Amino acid sequence: MTLETVLTTNNLTKVFGRLTAVNKLNLEVKRGQVFGMLGPNGSGKTTTLGMLMGVINPTGGEFSWFGEQPNHQIRKKIGAVLEHPIFYPYLSGQKNLELNAMIKECPPENIPGVLELVELTDRKDDKYKTYSLGMKQRLAIASALLNEPTVLILDEPTNGLDPMGIAEIRELIKKIAANGKTIILASHLLDEVQKVCTHFVVLKKGNLVHIGPVDDVGKGAETVEVNADVSNLDEILKSFPGTASITNENGFFLVTLQHEVRSRDLNAFLVGRGVVANHLVTKKKSLEKMFLEILSEAN
Amino acid sequence: MLHLLKIDLKKLTSYRTFWVVCSLYFITVGFSTASGMEFLKLLANTFDKFGSSLNIDRIPLYHFPDVWLNLVWWSGFFKVLLGIMVVISISNEYSYRTLRQNIIDGLSRWEFLLSKILTNLLLSIISVVLIFIIAAITGFIYTPEINWNYVFTDLEFYPAYLLEIFTFLSYALMLGIIIQRSGLTIILLLLSYMLESIIKANIDDVIPWIIPFFPMESISALVPIPFYRYAFQQIQDYVDPVSVAIAAGWMVLFNYFSYLKLTRSDL
Repeated sequence: MTLETVLTTNNLTKVFGRLTAVNKLNLEVKRGQVFGMLGPNGSGKTTTLGMLMGVINPTGGEFSWFGEQPNHQIRKKIGAVLEHPIFYPYLSGQKNLELNAMIKECPPENIPGVLELVELTDRKDDKYKTYSLGMKQRLAIASALLNEPTVLILDEPTNGLDPMGIAEIRELIKKIAANGKTIILASHLLDEVQKVCTHFVVLKKGNLVHIGPVDDVGKGAETVEVNADVSNLDEILKSFPGTASITNENGFFLVTLQHEVRSRDLNAFLVGRGVVANHLVTKKKSLEKMFLEILSEAN
Repeated sequence: MLHLLKIDLKKLTSYRTFWVVCSLYFITVGFSTASGMEFLKLLANTFDKFGSSLNIDRIPLYHFPDVWLNLVWWSGFFKVLLGIMVVISISNEYSYRTLRQNIIDGLSRWEFLLSKILTNLLLSIISVVLIFIIAAITGFIYTPEINWNYVFTDLEFYPAYLLEIFTFLSYALMLGIIIQRSGLTIILLLLSYMLESIIKANIDDVIPWIIPFFPMESISALVPIPFYRYAFQQIQDYVDPVSVAIAAGWMVLFNYFSYLKLTRSDL
């Protein structure tokens, strides 16, 4: 199956005065991907999304949506929430969505459905300015989904939310992704990206420093947390030929294995030595760790 | 086109300030234009000498065809209220950042501007129609003998008045798009006439021929001051095509500047 390309950028650049916010960015997003954009604050995520959505004029380079030159008709088919939710404060949630339906030229019959999805039906006739931050975020997602878009762009959708709100939004994103929609998600919450994304890029000061699938994060050397009721456990672990290094952390031994060596090999070795571990956990490398590695390598 | 107008009206019709300012405009314009004779009578009753030195019934304020020009000229002063409404409408879009969201949602920048321009045109047309109706009614009430030739004289001041209002609203919209903050924009809008007068006074001796080309001057020149006719018996009772050309030129330029600013800036 060939994957249809949703978005390509070619040397996309934005310069604000002396600051290069985005520097020759080349991206390709394919249909069905949940594409994470990572980077510290000020790394150019929002500027990039702003250019893709026509509110920031690029200094150089180009991009295309669905293989077409960007124009406002294409934007109607993309649902986007950039930075924080933006609505008319004096209008009710319902009226704001009616207005957006007019702008996107989609039938107002879509409104009850999206309100139901984000669980705002009860509050739809209240003015937007009376909404809590979580409700505002959910209304923004409802608005982005209004025109049944094939692509959804979310910029920090869980910013400022409480843990429950974050979990709700995350579930919502998963629900939407399960329907085969392409999602571009900018965030600096790495846990969030690891949980929902299939692919990710890392930006640093406007430069692309990494691009790849999220599944690759767990690959590479494994780390195993071990404990057993024997006094010379560290010596036994050291004698295992697959051990690369050992550290002691919180009363457990943290064994970093050599390439291609798996935790069950270590387990078999211990059993062979007559040692039965009462604690043996394979630690997957977290995106957070990898992200920090990538950023420090990029220097 | 109609779709874009509907979008902008949808934003405004649920906005309380819009109704407050518009009611203020239409009530003040309506009352002040319709009650000129009552006002003169009040003056005559309050000050005895005023009535005896001047027979107020002989002042043909509301007689056809004078009524057309008189009311149009008088109503011109109130256009600043509509201008303030336009400034509030556009600067809200900046302060709420809804302009940005409208573009993200799929309006082109030109469509966004056009929706505002169409609202300006609608407000101008409503204003013209309102004054036309008031002038027609008061004219029929106060004119002693209706001469149909007079009734249909001087009507060209209405298209001129439409151009006056619409050009002024285009100017207000442009100021709002350039400055983006309502307070500062409203102050500048209110001071425009004064600032222009200061410049005019200073260059009057040097290059006086340039004065008719000034924007506020050209807008005012569309509808000349009518009351000289009661003192000197003669006034310019036609619309000067040169003023129309200059004002129309400014109207196009104001909207074009708005377009340039809106398409070139990052939102």
